[in-house]
Amino acid sequence: MIEPVALKDFFITFFSAALVILGGAGYAGLYAWAKLRGNPRLLLWAYACYAVLAGATFLLARATHLNGQWQILVGLMLTGYLLAPLGIWKLCVASHGN
Amino acid sequence: MSQTTPAWASEARWKKIAIWVTAGSFVLLIFLTFDTLSKVSVGGERVRAYSVINQEIDYRYDEQKKRYQPVIGKGAPLFGRVFSEEEAEKLVTLGKKTVQAKNCMNCHTLLGNGAYYAPDLTKAWLDPGWIDAANRENLMLAFLKDPVSNARSFGSGRRMPNLGITDEEAHGIVAFLKWMSAIDTNGFPNNFKTLNAKE
Amino acid sequence: MNSIVSALPGKITSLFGKLDSPYLNGGQQLAVKYFSVATVLFFAQLLFGLLAAIQFVAPGFLFGWLDFSVNRMIHINAMVVWLLYGFIGSVYWFLEEESGTEIAGLKLGNIAFYVLTGAVTIVVLVFLLIQTGPGKDTTIWFINEGREYIEAPRWADFGIVAVMLVFFYNVAGTFAKGRWSGISGVLTLDLIALAGLYCAGMFYLTNITADQYWWWWVIHLWVEATWEVLVGCIMAWSLMHLIGARRKIVQTWLYIEVALMFGSGILGLGHHYFWIGTPDYWFSIGGFFSALEPIPLVAMVVHSVYDAGVHQFKSRNHPALAWIIAHTFGNFLGAGVWGFMHTLPQINLYTHGTQWSASHGHLAFFGAYATINIAFFYMAVQKWRGNVWMGGELPGNGWKWKWAMALLNVGVLGMTVALLIAGYEQSFIERAMEGSTWSAYFSAQNHPWFQQAMHWRLLFGLITIAGLVLLIWDLVTIGKGETRPALQLLEAE
Repeated sequence: MIEPVALKDFFITFFSAALVILGGAGYAGLYAWAKLRGNPRLLLWAYACYAVLAGATFLLARATHLNGQWQILVGLMLTGYLLAPLGIWKLCVASHGN
Repeated sequence: MSQTTPAWASEARWKKIAIWVTAGSFVLLIFLTFDTLSKVSVGGERVRAYSVINQEIDYRYDEQKKRYQPVIGKGAPLFGRVFSEEEAEKLVTLGKKTVQAKNCMNCHTLLGNGAYYAPDLTKAWLDPGWIDAANRENLMLAFLKDPVSNARSFGSGRRMPNLGITDEEAHGIVAFLKWMSAIDTNGFPNNFKTLNAKE
Repeated sequence: MNSIVSALPGKITSLFGKLDSPYLNGGQQLAVKYFSVATVLFFAQLLFGLLAAIQFVAPGFLFGWLDFSVNRMIHINAMVVWLLYGFIGSVYWFLEEESGTEIAGLKLGNIAFYVLTGAVTIVVLVFLLIQTGPGKDTTIWFINEGREYIEAPRWADFGIVAVMLVFFYNVAGTFAKGRWSGISGVLTLDLIALAGLYCAGMFYLTNITADQYWWWWVIHLWVEATWEVLVGCIMAWSLMHLIGARRKIVQTWLYIEVALMFGSGILGLGHHYFWIGTPDYWFSIGGFFSALEPIPLVAMVVHSVYDAGVHQFKSRNHPALAWIIAHTFGNFLGAGVWGFMHTLPQINLYTHGTQWSASHGHLAFFGAYATINIAFFYMAVQKWRGNVWMGGELPGNGWKWKWAMALLNVGVLGMTVALLIAGYEQSFIERAMEGSTWSAYFSAQNHPWFQQAMHWRLLFGLITIAGLVLLIWDLVTIGKGETRPALQLLEAE
C-alpha cells in the first residue's frame, strides 16, 4: 500500500520535510508582517517562502511515492496551506475588533 | 468595540466549532477503535493464535504489498512439545508479564516502542544471530537466565544485566517472543531477513 | 525510631509551610508547594538522564547497580510527573482569581498534595531499590508495570486517579461556586478527558498489539492533545496577566486553538499505529492528520506577528515573557520541524524505534512544556516576593536568568542535534542497508558517527544541567530585596 523511501532519497526526504515546515512558517510570518506594514516587498518574500514550501512538497511527494490520487491530496494540501495564513490573518483582524 | 466582531470570528461561533470538531474526531476515533480491535484480536490474520508457537514462522516478500509478510509453516514444536491453545496462552502470558516485570522496554524496543539502548525484540525469535534454528531455544534460555556470562554485545560493550529470570519465566519469554514474531507489523522493521532466509 | 516516624509528617508540613508568603491566596500557597516539588523532580529528570547518557558512552558505568533501564525509566517518569506538577500548580495558582471566590476544598487539596508527593516518593524508591520483580501480577501491582512512561505500579495508578479527582473537584467546584468563563469551561472539560484517558493505561493485556493500541491512547492523547489544551488554558490566563491581553480575544483564540489542535491531534494518533500490528489503513489516517498538525503552528505564527505589531507590549515580567517566546520557537522546531521530518510512514519505517524519536522527544517536550512551566515559575515567584519589579534593569542586569535560559536552550538544542545525527546514521545503516537484524543494530551503534554523537550529547547534557542549577539559583534569589513595585498593566476585561 505504501512504497518506502529509497535509500538514495533519504536525505532529500528529511531535508524537504524540514523545508516544508520552515517554508510554511516563513510564508505565514512574512505574510502577516507584510500585511501589518502594508509592505508589498515583504509580500514578495512571503511568496518566495511559499515557493520553497511548494518545491519542497514536490520533492517530498516524489521521494515518498505519492502517486495517483495522492497527488490530488497533495494539491489540496498545498492550496490549504496557501490560504491558511490569509484566513488566520482575517480572523486576527476580525476577532480583535479593530 | 467588541460589537464590531463579525459572527464568523466571534467567541460563540468558535466555541461551537471547537465542540463539534472535538466531538466529531472523537466519534471517528471510537469507530476506528472498534474496527481495529476486532482486526487485531488474537487468532486473526494479523495477530496469530497463541498456539502459533507450535509452528514454523517465516517471512516472504509480497510484491503487491511491497513488504515482507509473515508465513506460518509446518509444525515446529517449542521445547520439544506441542502446546494446546490454553497451555500456549498461559505460557505466552507468563512471558509477557515477565517482560513487563523485568522492565525490558526501558532498554529494548517491542514493536519499535521503548528505549534505544538494546536491539528491537519484535522479531528476536527469527534473528539470524541465533545462527542455527535447532539450537536457538537453548541459546535463548541460557542467555535469559544468565545474560552476563552469555553476553552477546556485538563489540559494543553493552551487556544485559542479570535480572533473576527463572527457568519457567525464561520459557515464557521465549514463547512470547516466538508468538510476537508472527504479528503482521506491515513490514517493520524494514527489510528484515530471518534466520531461515540465510540457510 | 517510632517517635521519629510519628514526628515526620509534622516536620514535612512545617518544611513546606516555610514556602508560604503573605502576598498569596490559598490556591497560590498550594501552587508554590507543587512548583517546589516540580523543580526537585526537574533536577531528578536531568540527573538520571545524565547517568543514562554516561552509560551510552561507558556501558560499564554502574552496571548491575543502576542499570540503564532504571535510569532511563526515572528520567522519563520524573519528566512526566514534574510537568504535571507544574500544570496542577499553575491551575491552582489562577483558580481563585479566575473564579472570583475561594477554593472549594483547600484542605482537601493540601492533603491530596501530600498524598501524591508521598506516593511519588515511594514509587521512585521502589524503582531505585527493588527495580524489578517476578513475572507475576504482584510485580505489576506493587513494583513496576514495565510499560514506557506509565511504569508506575497499579496501586499508584489508583492513587493518581484519586488525587486527580480531588483536583477536579477543586477546579469544577470552585468555578461552580464562583463564576464560569471560557477558560474555566475548556479547562474543566480537558481535565475530565485527561483523567479518563489515564484509565486506558490501567489494565493488563497479553495481546501486545491491543496493549500498545491503548497505551498510545494515554501517551499520545495526553501529550499531543489534552496537555496541549491544558497549556493553552494556562497560556491564555498568563497572557491576560502578563501583557494585559483582553479576555474576549484570548478566549476566542483558545477555542480556535482547541478546534485546530483536537481536529488534527486526535486522529493524528494514527501515526503511532503504523507498525504495531494494526491494519494498514492507519497509514493514510496517520499520514494525513500528521500533515494537518502544522496548522495550529501556522495560526500561532500569524497571530504572534499580529499581536507583536498591533499592540505595544509592556511586559511586567521579562524572564517569563522570554520563556514564553522560547516556548513558541521550541514548540515550532521540536513538534513542527522535528516531528514532520519523520512522520510519514514511507520514512517512519526507517526511523521508528531509533534515536530519531529521542531527538524529537527531547526538543518537543522541552519546547512545548518545560518552557511554559518555567515561565509560570517566574510569574509565581514575582507575586511570592510581593509583586515586585521584574522588568528590565534587574540587579546585575539579570545575568542569572539570561544565562540560565541560554544554557538550557543551547544544551537541549545541542542534545537534539547530536541525537538527530545518531538517528540518521542508525536509520541509514541499521534499517536501510543492513536489514534491521541484531548485528545490523550493533553495527550502527558502533559506528563512529553514533559514538561521537553520544559524546556530544553527554557534553550538551552537562550544559543543560548547568543551566538548570543556575535557573534554580535565580528562582530562589530573584526579586530578593527588590523595592520597586511591578509594572501596572490595564486590567483584563
